[in-house]
Amino acid sequence: MNLALDILTIVAVSLGAIFFLAGTVGLLRFPDTLTRLHALTKADNLGLGLVVLGLLPQVSAPLAALGLLAVWLLALLSGATVGQLLAGTASAPDQDRAETPARHAGASHD
Amino acid sequence: MTRPKGAHSLIRVVVARWSAFFGFWLLLAGPGLNESVAKGLTTDLAANLAVGLLAAVAATWVSLRLLPPTPGRLHLAALARLALHFFWQSIVAGVDVARRAFDPRLPLKPGDLTFPTRLPPGTERAAFGAITSLMPGTLPVGTDDHDRLLYHCLDLDQPVAAGLARDEALMMRVRRGGNDRDD
Repeated sequence: MNLALDILTIVAVSLGAIFFLAGTVGLLRFPDTLTRLHALTKADNLGLGLVVLGLLPQVSAPLAALGLLAVWLLALLSGATVGQLLAGTASAPDQDRAETPARHAGASHD
Repeated sequence: MTRPKGAHSLIRVVVARWSAFFGFWLLLAGPGLNESVAKGLTTDLAANLAVGLLAAVAATWVSLRLLPPTPGRLHLAALARLALHFFWQSIVAGVDVARRAFDPRLPLKPGDLTFPTRLPPGTERAAFGAITSLMPGTLPVGTDDHDRLLYHCLDLDQPVAAGLARDEALMMRVRRGGNDRDD
């Protein structure tokens, strides 16, 4: 029984690490900010979920298991929220680009 | 009995939220409750708990400012269906994006999509945004001038709009009830 749980831990945590790696590979290979955000939010969420799943059989007290789940939930919530905020900022760079030359032009007059 | 009904429900909301936040604090900060039970209430434990109690009060106050209680109840069966759907789809999303990242040909067809939503602005729309940001191939980037949601998609060949419509229908039922056949 213990052996089975240990195997579950090893498999789940290793799979989790692979998804974290996938998120990083996506961050490096995907073409722009928005597609990179896709890779980070979705792959890391699943990676963390698998790491937490793998650690659950190893906890000594039920409260610690709830704590692990709480950490995953908070990371999920913050990842989803920050992902949206970054996407909103990244998808409106046209205004900045339109403004920047004007500011530079203004500065060069001084 | 003489109190107005609104005050009663506000007290209920405050108590429920404060308990939830304090429970969360106990889970995450975990001030060694198991060892302390044997020793009784030491000054250390009392100081720790005081911090937690105050933190929960602050969190409750902020949550009431940012997320005022809305009337009406949640349909728990619909919430469970949404949670299950979300759980499964977020696995699909992670596998999908990992497959694309590792594929040597990098199969992406990114593009934008506008999604006219029936969800009211505020909490429900924010929750919808958070949920769909972890669904396969969709990332909410904002709202346009016509109050439609803007999405960035990883692969426009995927049935992205259909997926969003399904998520939205599940989300609507959490507040309003109804079954699978009513849309």
